[in-house]
Amino acid sequence: MSRSTTSPPPREPWFAVRRDLSAKRATVLTIISFALPLAIWAAVSYLPFLWHPDIRLQLSADREDVTTVYIAGDRVSKGFFPEFTEAVRAQNQAVEEQLKSEDPLGGISDSSVRRANKKILRHLSPILISNGIITEEQSKDDETIYKAWGDIATGAWVPKSPALTDENIEIVKRNWAVMSEVSPVYDSDNFISVPIISLIPQGKPSNPDYLPDPGQVFKSGAKAFTSPGEGDRPSMIQRVRHSIFIVFGGFLLAALVGVPIGVLCGTYAFFSKLIEPFTDFFRYMPAPTFSTLLVAIFLANDAPKIALVFVGTFFQLVLVVANTTRRLDLPLLEAAQTLGANQRQLLTHVVIPGILPNLYNDLRILLGWAWTWLVIAELVGVKSGLTEFIETQGRFRNFDMVFPIIILIGVIGFTTDQILALLRGVIFPYTEDGAAASANPLVKALMFIPRWFRQAVSERLPADLANHKSLSTKA
Amino acid sequence: MIPPVIDNLDYREQSPEVKDRFTKLKQRPVVLSVDNLGKTFPTPGGEVTALKGVDFEVFRREFMCVIGPSGCGKSTLIRILAGLEVETNGQVLLDGNPVAGPGPDRGMVFQSYTLFPWLTVKQNVMFGPKMEGKSGTSVEADARQWIDLVGLSQFENSYPHQLSGGMKQRVAIARALANRPRILLMDEPFGALDAQTRAQMQNYLLQIWRNLDITILFITHDLDEAVYLSDRILVLKADPGEVDEIIEVPVPHPRSLDQFITPEFVATKHRINQLIHPESESKEDVLPFPRMTAEGDDVE
Ligand SMILES: Nc1ncnc2c1ncn2[C@@H]1O[C@H](COP(=O)(O)OP(=O)(O)OP(=O)(O)O)[C@@H](O)[C@H]1O
Ligand SMILES: [Mg+2]
Repeated sequence: MSRSTTSPPPREPWFAVRRDLSAKRATVLTIISFALPLAIWAAVSYLPFLWHPDIRLQLSADREDVTTVYIAGDRVSKGFFPEFTEAVRAQNQAVEEQLKSEDPLGGISDSSVRRANKKILRHLSPILISNGIITEEQSKDDETIYKAWGDIATGAWVPKSPALTDENIEIVKRNWAVMSEVSPVYDSDNFISVPIISLIPQGKPSNPDYLPDPGQVFKSGAKAFTSPGEGDRPSMIQRVRHSIFIVFGGFLLAALVGVPIGVLCGTYAFFSKLIEPFTDFFRYMPAPTFSTLLVAIFLANDAPKIALVFVGTFFQLVLVVANTTRRLDLPLLEAAQTLGANQRQLLTHVVIPGILPNLYNDLRILLGWAWTWLVIAELVGVKSGLTEFIETQGRFRNFDMVFPIIILIGVIGFTTDQILALLRGVIFPYTEDGAAASANPLVKALMFIPRWFRQAVSERLPADLANHKSLSTKA
Repeated sequence: MIPPVIDNLDYREQSPEVKDRFTKLKQRPVVLSVDNLGKTFPTPGGEVTALKGVDFEVFRREFMCVIGPSGCGKSTLIRILAGLEVETNGQVLLDGNPVAGPGPDRGMVFQSYTLFPWLTVKQNVMFGPKMEGKSGTSVEADARQWIDLVGLSQFENSYPHQLSGGMKQRVAIARALANRPRILLMDEPFGALDAQTRAQMQNYLLQIWRNLDITILFITHDLDEAVYLSDRILVLKADPGEVDEIIEVPVPHPRSLDQFITPEFVATKHRINQLIHPESESKEDVLPFPRMTAEGDDVE
């Protein structure tokens, strides 16, 4: 006895076949299930030693020998970067040597040297933008840029975020020495006409553009949602509303038509044999293959999109509902018959109320199914909604804009589903969910819904539909 | 196992009161009459004869049990009576009228729980009247009375999933009775209950039967239950299901638990046991077991 009082209580195992965990552990794991992918994403994004196969340029750069022009923000692979910087250095070397020779301009005209020099001048502007010296619109404001060259060269201003490499500061000083001799301020007509040397490309290790970091995604997402729509470009909120409209429109239509048909198929062998074989065949034809057809039938705008969600959901829905209806406990139907229910009452008073909780679950799952058609539906005819945004941004490789939308679609679908799951217990208090839900304080507050629902149902179903006695004695 | 019959009492010997009771019982009108009933099921392996030439009558306010070996057709019989299955030959008369199809004049309680899970206890009990088109406060008051009768007035607004197995079956009985059926058909209604709840339910049922104008046909495979509850016991034999014997239970009324060890009770049980487990078959109960323990290490 004394041993059992001193020994600690037996620890619950974390791993036991088909055993539930305590509520606390379950909650912890649920949180981790979301936190873990987020943490991995953040780690891969922010820890440079984890992946970062590219260098993201902080300066614009080009090479004379090849026509590629890189602007700040572009990524080059880590393997290529040293080769690239070496090429620029070699190019500068060539310029210096040319200047020492008898023919400093190398037979090139004054005006083209000027043009090349002006280009080099502007290579600095990304650094000025990210240091807040000029705005994005001022990236070609040569006067300010020219002044900045001078400030850096004299040490009057030192760029901090990002800083210039020492090598590039030397280049700035070297160029400024010759530039300031010609003119202390920017003068387009009197711009230096001997070649100056290029800044050496500098950058930071980064991931490829298809994996933006969480902070960037969040910032871009916030920006996308706060910027108002203009002209025929709808705001993000309008896009979201439009996408939800397409999904729910198609789904609700499918449910409106499909549920009665499914219930009939599950109840009467007649309808089952008449309708289900073809439905079963039809659902194997992928909905997207009908898209051009749907545009021909329903023309432009939303109709063909809603029709596509409908086609993608409807056939599945009929079969699922029919199966759910068939799974209703046969003894319930027999008991109802011995209590005097006639054929019609069996349908209205036993089959329909009996399958409601499972039907609700089916529709929940099928709503998720409908969401999967969203992207294809929005590509039908004129692109629209969230998909149009994803398409456009994706084409420009603005993946930091694409991610927030993908995540948003997930969040909308997931929260809808979770809310519907919670409501199930409230609407159907007699199910196991109901017992669990009634303990939930949030649900307790929502308990007016089942009361209203039950009242509405009991008022709708007329008590006297037929006289059972005529049936039992006549047959 | 059943102890050997004490004092060689014959189960057919009835005390004068019991004899008098049976004379009166048989003078009552016949509620249910089953006439040369037969049922065969078509199966892939050929026809299965579940019932053959079943003949019997149930008198008004009689309590009759049907007992027989597993698979002898008890459920088939009661399902035909309820109208859930169609007979192959013969006919069933309720108050002299042939029955076809299910109807509220024959209440049924199933072994599996068949309360409607989406209805409260009270709504379940009101289901039959509602199907008849009755509604309003009188129906509700009536339903309350039936719920009171089975002792569940506290639970009238509970859902079935909140009730124990025994409580569910009591509601099922109340629900069947609320239709005022001529006969209550019960197919092993207490089969899924534990022994204690079962004994309690048997008592409830006897009280209900005593106080209502109701005839009961009750299927069981429990010998004690059959003898304790019945006026008469219909013993079916298997392959095909035929009436073996209709036993008039010599145990006097009112029934009580003390009677379980009376000679009449034991003798009746013994007789049924003989009928459903014939002597020749009892050899099959002995397993062909070789000795698997050491010599001398015996328990008996
Ligand atoms: N729908 C059916 N189709 C084919 N055979 C059936 C069907 N229903 C019952 N049977 C057969 O009829 C016979 C009687 O079955 P029944 O269920 O009436 O027996 P029971 O006496 O109720 O048995 P138990 O004591 O196990 O409940 C069995 O052999 C069974 O296999
Ligand atoms: Mg049975």
